[in-house]
Amino acid sequence: MKGFFKTGLILMTYCAVAGLGLGLVYSITKDRITSAEFKNKTQAVEHVLKDENGSYLVPISEIENTVFNTKSTDEILYETDKGKVLSPVYVFEVSNQKIYVVTGSSIGFGGPVVTVASFVEDNKGISLHSIKVIEYSQETPGLGAKIADSSIQKRFYPLDSAVLENGVNVDKDVGAPDLPPDEAKKNGIVKVSDVMTGATITPRAVVNSINTMYEYLVKRMGGSEQ
Amino acid sequence: MSSLKEFSKGFFKENPTYVQVLGMCPTLAVTTSALNGLGMGLATTAVLTMSNIVISAIRKAVPKNIRIPIFITVIASFVTIVDMLMHAFTYDLWKTLGLFIPLIVVNCLIMGRAEAFASRNSIGKSMLDGLGMGLGFTGSLVLLGSVRELLGSGTVFGLELWGKKFNIFLMILPPGAYMTLGLLAALFAYIGITRKKRGGSK
Repeated sequence: MKGFFKTGLILMTYCAVAGLGLGLVYSITKDRITSAEFKNKTQAVEHVLKDENGSYLVPISEIENTVFNTKSTDEILYETDKGKVLSPVYVFEVSNQKIYVVTGSSIGFGGPVVTVASFVEDNKGISLHSIKVIEYSQETPGLGAKIADSSIQKRFYPLDSAVLENGVNVDKDVGAPDLPPDEAKKNGIVKVSDVMTGATITPRAVVNSINTMYEYLVKRMGGSEQ
Repeated sequence: MSSLKEFSKGFFKENPTYVQVLGMCPTLAVTTSALNGLGMGLATTAVLTMSNIVISAIRKAVPKNIRIPIFITVIASFVTIVDMLMHAFTYDLWKTLGLFIPLIVVNCLIMGRAEAFASRNSIGKSMLDGLGMGLGFTGSLVLLGSVRELLGSGTVFGLELWGKKFNIFLMILPPGAYMTLGLLAALFAYIGITRKKRGGSK
């Protein structure tokens, strides 16, 4: 009996020392970790607000301010059986346009695939401007994880509002493999079968999240900032 | 001389990956590129060296029957520290290595060195052992990662050698890891045998 207590006490001492050390390192690295996470988030938002010439749709200082001031709560704002829209949604207003930066997620081959997308709303409706896939760590390297390639991500945008209204599809699902990428986009088809052979599920997840995000924006149109 | 041996034995003669075949889980999983291998190797080296030092320092104050939980506590603390530091300072690498950093805790290389070496030897020797074994492990991962990256995507450390002209896509997938590992282990064994023969004939 005495032996048990002694052993337990020794173990407790070691754990207490280890805990103290960990606490110390935690308090030192805490701020750095927050700023690294913040930087990562801003980078994605900045990326999707760029146009082909590399200039931003929204002034960069405004992007940083908005990202900094918008509380991230990690809650699900909207959910269908295909995908989810995650908080926060950033809203920028430029002249007569409203620009939304939305985060959507859908299940890929091994887990969630998270996409940040920018939508532009003007008098013609809501169109997709750009996307960036930020989370694909569960996808197969060399197959689904190719989605990280920005030249592949370009196959998903831009899409205009009429196309989004009818829903976007991956070329393999609608059986139209021979269209050139830009032609396919006009018909609401994302052509990836030539660059992502053998991986249909991952691009399908991205397409699903784009559709979900568009649905969300349409349903919440007008009352954008809630 | 002998302390130098403690350091250099991990490079070849007792190479943790190809000769001792320890720590296979991260070896196979993260070596899709040379950079991932390097990051994983260095993180493991840091944990291994620090935990070897601490375990060697406390080896006389550890009761024999609870040594394993205490070693695990020490190792886990250092892994968590490395995890937090990488999260703070090397964010992208931290994201790629993902779950495999916390899993360093159960890397049998570290537990193996703690039990087989650090708990029986002086602090200095244990430190050298940890550093040597860690760097040997790092070298193995970089070698494995480079071969797979080169054959799979035509680059090494992101530097393009032949790009997309010739890619064996299988190399980046798990089977590629097994095949490369097997061939490299065979090479190490072959060199080991030839060395021994030469030493014997002298």
